[in-house]
Amino acid sequence: MSPTAWGWLVLLFPLLGAAVISAGWNRWPARTAGWLGTLAIALSFVCSVGALLSLLGRDPAHREVVSTLWSYAVSSGVDGKLQILVDPISVFMILVVSGVSTLIHLYSVSYMKGDRGFVRYFAYLNYFVLSMLVLVLAGNFILLIVGWAFVGAASYMLISFWYRRSTATGAGIKAFVINVVGDVGLVLGTFFIFRHTGTVQFLQTFSQIHHVFRVDSTDLVAGCLLFLVGAFAKSAQVPLHTWLPDAMEGPTPVSSLIHAATMVTAGVYLIVRLHPLFELAPTAAEVGAIVGCATLLIAGSIGLVVVDIKRVIAYSTMSQIGYMIMGAAAGAYSGALFHLMTHAFFKALLFMAAGSIIGAMAGDQSLDRMSGFRKAMPFTFLCFIVGGLALSGIPPFSGWVSKDDVIGYTFHRGGIYPILGVGGELGALITGMYTFRMIFRAFFGAPSPEAVELQHGHLAHAEVPRNPMTGEEEDTDVGFPGPEHVIAEREWPMKVAMSLLALGALAAGVIQLPGVDHVISTFLSPAFTGSKLFHHDPSTGTAWIGLIVTPIVGLVGIVTAYRLYIAAPGSSKRLQERLAPVHTFLYNKWYFDELIDIVVVRPALLVGRLAESVLERIVIGGGVTGGVTGSVRAVSAGVRRAQTGLLRLYAAAVILGLSAIALYFLIVSS
Amino acid sequence: MIAAVHHIAGPPIDWKGLSPLLALGGGAVIVLLVGLLRPAAVRERIVPLLTVVALGAAIGTEIWRFNHPGSIIHGALSIDDLGLIVDLICAVSALATVLMSWRGVAPREAGQGEFYGLLLFSVMGMAVLSSSQDIVTLFLGLELLSIPLYILCAAEHRREGSLESGLKYLVIGSVGSATLVYGLAMIYGATGQTGFAQIGSALTSGALSGGVFSDPLLLTGLALVTVGFAFKASVAPFHQWTPDVYEGAPTPITAFMATATKAAALAIFLRFFDVAASSAQNKWGPLIATIAAVTIIVGNVGALGQTSMKRMLGYSGVAQAGYMLAGVVVGTSLGVSATVLYLGAYLMLNIAAFAAIVAVERDAGDDQLSGFAGLGARNPWAAWPLTIGMLGLAGIPGTVGFIGKFQLIHALVDGDYTWLAIVLVIGSMISLGYYLRVVATMWMPAAGTAATSAAALAPIAGAAPSEEELVAGFPPAEGSGVVAPPDDTGVPHPEVVLVAGVFAAASVFFGIIPSPLFDFASHAGAALPGLF
Repeated sequence: MSPTAWGWLVLLFPLLGAAVISAGWNRWPARTAGWLGTLAIALSFVCSVGALLSLLGRDPAHREVVSTLWSYAVSSGVDGKLQILVDPISVFMILVVSGVSTLIHLYSVSYMKGDRGFVRYFAYLNYFVLSMLVLVLAGNFILLIVGWAFVGAASYMLISFWYRRSTATGAGIKAFVINVVGDVGLVLGTFFIFRHTGTVQFLQTFSQIHHVFRVDSTDLVAGCLLFLVGAFAKSAQVPLHTWLPDAMEGPTPVSSLIHAATMVTAGVYLIVRLHPLFELAPTAAEVGAIVGCATLLIAGSIGLVVVDIKRVIAYSTMSQIGYMIMGAAAGAYSGALFHLMTHAFFKALLFMAAGSIIGAMAGDQSLDRMSGFRKAMPFTFLCFIVGGLALSGIPPFSGWVSKDDVIGYTFHRGGIYPILGVGGELGALITGMYTFRMIFRAFFGAPSPEAVELQHGHLAHAEVPRNPMTGEEEDTDVGFPGPEHVIAEREWPMKVAMSLLALGALAAGVIQLPGVDHVISTFLSPAFTGSKLFHHDPSTGTAWIGLIVTPIVGLVGIVTAYRLYIAAPGSSKRLQERLAPVHTFLYNKWYFDELIDIVVVRPALLVGRLAESVLERIVIGGGVTGGVTGSVRAVSAGVRRAQTGLLRLYAAAVILGLSAIALYFLIVSS
Repeated sequence: MIAAVHHIAGPPIDWKGLSPLLALGGGAVIVLLVGLLRPAAVRERIVPLLTVVALGAAIGTEIWRFNHPGSIIHGALSIDDLGLIVDLICAVSALATVLMSWRGVAPREAGQGEFYGLLLFSVMGMAVLSSSQDIVTLFLGLELLSIPLYILCAAEHRREGSLESGLKYLVIGSVGSATLVYGLAMIYGATGQTGFAQIGSALTSGALSGGVFSDPLLLTGLALVTVGFAFKASVAPFHQWTPDVYEGAPTPITAFMATATKAAALAIFLRFFDVAASSAQNKWGPLIATIAAVTIIVGNVGALGQTSMKRMLGYSGVAQAGYMLAGVVVGTSLGVSATVLYLGAYLMLNIAAFAAIVAVERDAGDDQLSGFAGLGARNPWAAWPLTIGMLGLAGIPGTVGFIGKFQLIHALVDGDYTWLAIVLVIGSMISLGYYLRVVATMWMPAAGTAATSAAALAPIAGAAPSEEELVAGFPPAEGSGVVAPPDDTGVPHPEVVLVAGVFAAASVFFGIIPSPLFDFASHAGAALPGLF
């Protein structure tokens, strides 16, 4: 089969899964819906592998295949077609997305079993995977925008999954609003490019741009900056990042899938997919790289002080995506995508392990209350350690190779990029610190009451379900987490999913280790034939300097965490008191929420109130609406009054109309 | 006998091209004859079946003749793709009408043979009208179309509303026909020609006294013809019969009039103005555009606050005719294809909606909006097609209605009538006020909550909360007065619901995969010569 046939099948299975699960929403017994969902995504993964093999069977020069299922609207100069592009980039993405999604579906079958929204959950999750696959397989801007908006919607539905929780619905709305800002950026950016190229198809656009744009043409830079707005909103980059920590209100597997492994990396994919545009607009690329670097530092620093375990991982995700955005904008395409892949493994793993601990804590997510779970939960602990070491970039774990692939490239690139590379190294230090702060606090130290219980074989149960954020008692009517909590130690699907991811987090690095192998960059290179930056890799020797330096920096971070939390317990408290202003600053997340509140929300509210009291009440309510509804009402009444049902009046109308028409003709002709 | 036929000096006839008309006419005669047979089983089963066969044969021959343009019977009829597509629309509409009437009251009261025979004659009239390229065949087709409809409207002759509807249609229709024939006579008087193409060349050649397009006789004729067409297409201000007749007529016949008559009327609009009068497009363009704008506003505003579904769809049909005139206004082949595309879209959506109304009406006894409260829970098989129909008529993406409007707007902007495109969009906005009210009524849960929602919805719709016309909520008594479906096993009225489902499914399908429609419509656009 051709690569595109496989590509269509990749899309078909999640679509069928979502449709079938939703169609029988009130009929599926027990866990059937979960298994169906998992099966659909697994089949999608199998087809992704089929696409990979089929693509590898082709000559490298012919590995960009476009297929159109049908034309939607080829009209008014727009060539809107349902069209996919199967090339190394999209195949790489569908492999990562469908592969990790399969494991997370498997994990969810156990994790969500006590939830009353079980079927709804899997319908949403399948729909999400479909949207994400549409996004990465899209062959033109229109389908890209469709996928882009669909994942936003899916993310909204899943963040607000427990919709009786006020914090969850609020978080969902916040995420959706910020994502829509990104959608607008993407759409406007498309207009800027389309205006000059006259096509929405990717490959045609890329072959056109060298004819219609010069380096840093104004419209091109504007378009690219707008694409960056889209990328920043979706990938939670400063200053459009505030939705991601709040998105942790969703179920933990959702955080694992959407807010760590797949959706939030869409921005990275966007930059890589549109690399010919960004290479022709180096100014925009630099903006992207700088924001990525800023995000990785800011998010990492916040991660040092947050106490909610899921939010620590969320900030870590932002920070790691900062690396990817920085790399993709700098031109380290294979590095960025490679880090995307390894990050998907180890971050999904960390979230799953965190979900297991939260299960053991009966829903509590605060690091302040967790401690000493090492003995009670050996499997979870092992997974967390593997994920943590990979995240900190310690050899031989996968994060070690992929992270340095990005940092090393920035040093080699020149220009402003080495400065950003230094930021990356600093980020590696912070990463080690916050990761192991989390591990030391949750797994080491004196066992917490829940851990002691668990060591005796009893899983803690919350008396009344409470919202972990506010402590409010939960409405348990519909869609609540359920009284049953699950831990990985007792559920084989969770164990299988986590083990496989742990394996990936451990070993995936070797396929792209400089001097050993270069599977990723070789595979990707046919998609970058026109790229100057893709083949600009540092030499093996230079790369190895980075591969030695960066883990040392990470180790320093880990050792610092060790000194603060294990060697001298309590020193973190003292440090916190001594650096109180810094701590407060970080604890309040650099006051970004407040900043947005002051800069955007309050002025908007003020303008809104003013508009409400002056514009709305007087101008709109009195004049426009009053006028419009008044006139519509008057015309409506007039029409109805004319509609007497009396034939003589109808005949009169005919004669009047006829006279008017005849008069018109006589006037225009004379 | 054969020798006698040989002696008549008739024009050469292309029987292949004529085959759709033969199928319809022959079918009508056979249906009438079979309808005379005594056994009730024959009349109630065989007659509709024969009608379906005749319509099937017509549809088959229309598809067979597709892409074989030809002028037949001395240029009286042009069997081209535009005509064939419109014929197809009318025949499909008639097919749906047969299924919707099958176990209804109208054919029983009017007589099976008569009812279905007249229906076939009317379709034949439409086929003649939409293919005519001569003012004589034009009038012939128009009358063949109209006279059976006058009778069909009064088919339920024991019901006062039906009789009133038929009589009103007859009187007003006669005024319309008289206007038209008078206008045609004047045009013949001015140009001395009956063929559209010949009239067109007489206009361009300046053979008329005083140069092109200044002869008062011709102009008055043109005005009269415009009014005559506007009648049939129910274009404001000549639309006033529409709500009354639609409300009173048997619902399947209303559905047939709303879709097929409109298609034939717009086809002749396109043919006459884009062939005979195409050279003067800059003169009549602004006039038709103004009429279209008035029609859009009047239809949409009038539909607000209607409580009878058929009446509401009558006004909605007026507004839709306004939209479709947009394709006539621009006088380009893009405009022709946009109008034809919209006719197809309109057929699917309207039949879906009307079939659902038929299903509800048979249980509830009337077509009041209040009878639709809670339909979503009661009978989802009828509620979904109606929902799709309403959303599609409003032009929501994902339905074929969106594609149709998209193409009309494209044609308008392309033909420098952007202002009319804006009116069209504003009209669609107003139309949401009444289409969504139906959707809300159907899916709102209980009678108690529905009452408050309807009250809350009314101001949004901008409708006057005026005395008798507005639904003042749904009193529980009315809700409980709804008769439950006779048997709970299976879907009630399967054939009607099937029609609704098929047409709704088609409107969603073509809303997602519109390219076949685009192809079809562009054939129609290419059928008229001399357009850009």
